Amino acid sequence: MSSISTQDIEAIVDQFQRGDWREMHLRIGDVELFLSKDGNARLPERGASAPIAPAAAIAAPVAVAPVASSGHGAAAPASAAPVGAVPPGWVQIRAPSLGTFYRAPKPGAPKFVEVGAAVTPESDLCLIEVMKLFTTLRSGVSGTVREVYVQDGELVEFDQPLFLIQPNA
Amino acid sequence: MPKPSPAAGRLFVANRGEIALRAIRAAHALGMEAVLGVSVADKGSLGAAEADRTVVLGPAAARDSYLNAGLIVHAAVATGCTALHPGYGFLSERAELAELCAKEGVTFVGPSADSIRRVGDKLSARAMAKAAGVPMTSGSDAIDDVAHALRIAEQIGYPVITKASAGGGGRGMVVAHSPADLEREFDQAVTTAREAFGDGTLFIERYVQIARHIEVQVVGDGKGGVVHFGERDCSIQRRYQKMIEEAPGAILPEPVRRRLHQAAVTLLGSIGYKNAGTVEFLYDVEREEFFFMEVNARIQVEHPVSEAITGTDLIQTQIKLATGAIEGLNQADVSTKGHAIEARIIAEDPKRDFMPAPGRITRWAPPVGPGIRVDSAMQDGTLVPPYYDSMIAKLIVHGETRDAAVDLLIKALDSFVVEGIATNIPLLKFIAAHEDFRGNRINTRWLETVLLPAFRAQLG
Repeated sequence: MSSISTQDIEAIVDQFQRGDWREMHLRIGDVELFLSKDGNARLPERGASAPIAPAAAIAAPVAVAPVASSGHGAAAPASAAPVGAVPPGWVQIRAPSLGTFYRAPKPGAPKFVEVGAAVTPESDLCLIEVMKLFTTLRSGVSGTVREVYVQDGELVEFDQPLFLIQPNA
Repeated sequence: MPKPSPAAGRLFVANRGEIALRAIRAAHALGMEAVLGVSVADKGSLGAAEADRTVVLGPAAARDSYLNAGLIVHAAVATGCTALHPGYGFLSERAELAELCAKEGVTFVGPSADSIRRVGDKLSARAMAKAAGVPMTSGSDAIDDVAHALRIAEQIGYPVITKASAGGGGRGMVVAHSPADLEREFDQAVTTAREAFGDGTLFIERYVQIARHIEVQVVGDGKGGVVHFGERDCSIQRRYQKMIEEAPGAILPEPVRRRLHQAAVTLLGSIGYKNAGTVEFLYDVEREEFFFMEVNARIQVEHPVSEAITGTDLIQTQIKLATGAIEGLNQADVSTKGHAIEARIIAEDPKRDFMPAPGRITRWAPPVGPGIRVDSAMQDGTLVPPYYDSMIAKLIVHGETRDAAVDLLIKALDSFVVEGIATNIPLLKFIAAHEDFRGNRINTRWLETVLLPAFRAQLG
């Protein structure tokens, strides 16, 4: 990404969400951003310029958790890694909002982080999607990812632990 | 009760407290699973314990949880819910929620977004009622400014009342007995309405001095078929908040009652209203005339008194209609029996000017017995959080006659034990024992002008 940072994009998305604009199409250098409050809207056809991650993510199909199979407990949360004790000094990164949890910027792309990955406070960890609006969650600490509690595409609740990070000594 | 199974569908409950519990139990009774969306403050609620799954929507503040339609519908879709019950309050009358549900393929248990909009704006509702031939107090369209207001008031005749087009609850309402009153208060009323609803549009109506609040419970099939479940008298109010509600409205002469029901049915039939709704009227006791006030496009807090006299579970009816389990209803199947009274148990201290009294309930022992029902999500040890409405229970009694119901109300209130927090039970007891209440000689101003001064006097 060139002249524009993810923070800039988030700020733009945030402003867009708050305002009464229905659609916005922005091009800065080789970055093209298309925002729309209509979930069915698509970037107008135009050359080869590939939309950057957030725009791609906005256009991505919504992953719908399967309707659980059977039985009274069917609606119980899908199998997530059990959240064990947090070793002293380690940091749990929790969901800032309810939403669908994505480990990659778009379907098929490499995951933001794997267990064992080194992260800085600026490292992107995942996306949280609410009604086709995507928020990037950053690490906030330097260290090593020790655990990912949630499966890609699962619904996460507000304040649910998502990652366990061992900070650098 | 059938074992809940996904085949019957899964209901997302977008509310809290007793109505959330009610919706969960109704879903289970119909064989559906129930998913409850809660704020952090309600993770330990009774509703959370009874739901098949609970998802935490957000922090305690309603704005970030119960009032966020995007979060709620996202949670409903992601948990595989097929329908959503909005309860009352919160987002129940926001067209946005109904619209999002429709867009995401989740059945909204309530009217269409279009109906919510049409009845939600009071001026548009008035126009609708007028077109349907429903009696109205003489009143105006939108008022431009104080000069316009004065001209209209002169035509209608004093006293007049201003009302906000965009909402109720007393905000934007001013009673003016003279041009001087109106001149003094008008701008403030506009400001209050604008602050409360984002829209300062006011209109003016003739003010009925001795009035009853009478409302008709209706259920529509969405195709013009509308059935009523009788009327309720909700005249015991403080600051436009209802405290005691009864069914039927014993004050009504039978011919007036029939006309009232017909007016409500005609009005909502004229817009093809779907699901449960209430048409509110003002009843002028002296003239024996009723006037349209507004439509509430949701199930109301006080619906249990109508359930008691008709023997119908209105929440289950709502769900069955929305999901297509039933096509419609038949007026011939609805009959009423006896008299029911509901008293709202509120966590506020009548001795301290109705200060909200959140806190931990150390002992919760509601009354039990024939003809007594308590709708509540409270238990021993429940923490009443300070973030939401302070109603903690509804006590509903049902007797063969109004007298019998009043007797039962007094008995039930006497044995209602709530420890740890202050409640309005002492005030409810005082009302129930008052001769005006027994004699049904009350009106919408009685609580504030007669009862409360007497109540304060006996407190000393």
